[in-house]
Amino acid sequence: MSERLIEFSGRIVNVIEEGEGAPLLYLHGFADVHGVAAGLLTFHRALAKNRRVIAPAHPGCNGGDELDGYSVDDLIYHYLQFLDHLKIDRFDLVGHCVGGWIAAEFAVRHPDRVRSLGLVGAAGLFVPNELIADVFMHAQPERGVDYKTLRRVFFASSDSDLAQRYFPNGRGDLEEEARRYGMLRFGSFFGFKPPYFYNRSLIDRLGRANMPALVAWGEHDGMTPIAHGNAYATGLPGAAPLMVVRGAGHAAHMESPDVAAAFEAFLSENSKS
Amino acid sequence: MNHEVQLYCWHFMSYPYLPSNFDETQSSGWVTVPNSLWDRERSRGLYQQYLDQLVYASQLGFDGMVLNEHHQNIYGLMPSPNLLAAALTQKTKQGKIIVLGDLLPLYLNPLRVAEEYAMLDNMSDGRLIAGFAPGSGPETFNYDVASAPSREQFWEAVELIEQAWTKPGPFPFEGKHYPLRYVNPWPQPTQSPHPPIWIPGARSHETLVQIAQRGYCYFLSSRSHGKETAKSVQKFAGVLKDHGKHYHPNRMGILMSTYVGETDKIAQEESREGIWYFLRYCLKGHQRREGRQLTFGPGVPYIPVDEFKEYLKHSDPTTPLLGDTEDWGDLQRSQSIIVGSPDTVYRRFMDVLEHAHVGHLLIQFHMGNMSDELARKSMRLFWTEVAPRLKQATGPLYEQMFGKAEEQAVREVLS
Repeated sequence: MSERLIEFSGRIVNVIEEGEGAPLLYLHGFADVHGVAAGLLTFHRALAKNRRVIAPAHPGCNGGDELDGYSVDDLIYHYLQFLDHLKIDRFDLVGHCVGGWIAAEFAVRHPDRVRSLGLVGAAGLFVPNELIADVFMHAQPERGVDYKTLRRVFFASSDSDLAQRYFPNGRGDLEEEARRYGMLRFGSFFGFKPPYFYNRSLIDRLGRANMPALVAWGEHDGMTPIAHGNAYATGLPGAAPLMVVRGAGHAAHMESPDVAAAFEAFLSENSKS
Repeated sequence: MNHEVQLYCWHFMSYPYLPSNFDETQSSGWVTVPNSLWDRERSRGLYQQYLDQLVYASQLGFDGMVLNEHHQNIYGLMPSPNLLAAALTQKTKQGKIIVLGDLLPLYLNPLRVAEEYAMLDNMSDGRLIAGFAPGSGPETFNYDVASAPSREQFWEAVELIEQAWTKPGPFPFEGKHYPLRYVNPWPQPTQSPHPPIWIPGARSHETLVQIAQRGYCYFLSSRSHGKETAKSVQKFAGVLKDHGKHYHPNRMGILMSTYVGETDKIAQEESREGIWYFLRYCLKGHQRREGRQLTFGPGVPYIPVDEFKEYLKHSDPTTPLLGDTEDWGDLQRSQSIIVGSPDTVYRRFMDVLEHAHVGHLLIQFHMGNMSDELARKSMRLFWTEVAPRLKQATGPLYEQMFGKAEEQAVREVLS
């Protein structure tokens, strides 16, 4: 695994790479690499066995520079410049949560460059009466120390080891606190308006993203209701039926090994074609 | 120049009719507090009562009246302080009218604030003090104002308003957040070049630098006044010095709350209910650990990552906040709400002023569900028995300390 700070277009971005072969761009969410963890998680490592996984931190996250503007367009051009810098043309694209949203926005704009699209608990869609959770309010701890409700947003149970590990009560390790804060600040720039994390126009554009797609969703997702998973799986022409991950929450890729297995099978199948 | 401390009456206009089981049944007094608790019948005349208390302050002779902006909460029923300021321009003949302040990122365009403040300055014959604030945690939720870009938006708005008052129009404003083709507000303010501008701040160094450079008055956003207040004064004085300017007490204001009674005992007995209603209910969700406070923290990330790290290094999430105050002893230590006889209140205000040389004291008299009668009594006792002594003591003290720097400091504020 290599972690490095790269500079392009006047900005510094923290990038983690692992594996060799066809490139896969991974765009992270909150409970994820760069959001809570400094390095790749088991899920990403599993994908890196047979390909080159490239996981950049979003602008301002995990030690990187902030952007001057945070519209969807600004983010898409940020990633276009990133891909130019790495000289990557066509690639597999996987995203989780807010990263899944950016992945979907990229795919509807540049379907020719995305060989396949994978989404886990992706934000981005407006689905009436199915609000995406207010992660910002939950990030304000109860009694100044208790992150129980924030853990439940991201995980099936607020008591699970994973939830406790990444969102402990009280004051945590300084670097981990700063990393989570950086991700929330990114979310505030990019996804606060409208409340929260969607682009009303995206759902009508999904038909343009006609590459093979896999959409996986934790059955107890506390951030993006499963109706959003159904909307993606229905709206993306190349998507298989929604994969509902039993027993998992929003960070299904962290909570269940089934997600890595399904993505490995999906990506291998696609690489043959 | 008059060096005496300036004394203003600040009214927050809290909602006074909450049920007695509020603390057990509600997790916050802010943003999510259900408005089904609003009692339409009992609330008739409430704004009139609060407004009349401010008019009373003007009649007593206070140096001014203070209003501020809050939304969707029980702590301050003033979504539009400008409406109340407009009423005060017609109901009072003397005293500054301080709006501290309009929350600029909540406005569709800050030009509106430039216009309304200019109207208020005209309507009050030049008595307006123009406060600008960026809003804090609750506003992000109330008005969907993203925290992260809000500071940049705020300073651009301030720049636009100051230009609108000082630069001959029409002119284009090529801002990132508020680009305008034609800036040309009618009316212009009465005061020249513009009303004094006050800006609240607490932690941010960048805020102090901006206030210092722009010649504004710094209002310290804190309800507690221990050693930290003196440190804040020194910090601001240091920033002024770094920019070749000079500290003077008229560059800085603080908020204090008080209840004055004939004796310490009477004061405590009379204010107990109002103060604890204020601490337990109004501060829940804002400055109390119980429940979920929304004012500052990772969910309202308006400061950059590095500044947040510094905050983490020097803070402890288990430290009690003002709303966690247990008893009178606790309250006394917080130096926030000063309760007692005129003599006690004088001494304890001077304790603060002797260490923190600020020229503007913004004083809250009405707290929580305090009755009209008691709020007025406390104001009257303060004005007749405490204020003269405070003015008498601070005049020579500040004159001696800052007399020499005065001319320079005054020029800096007006330039």
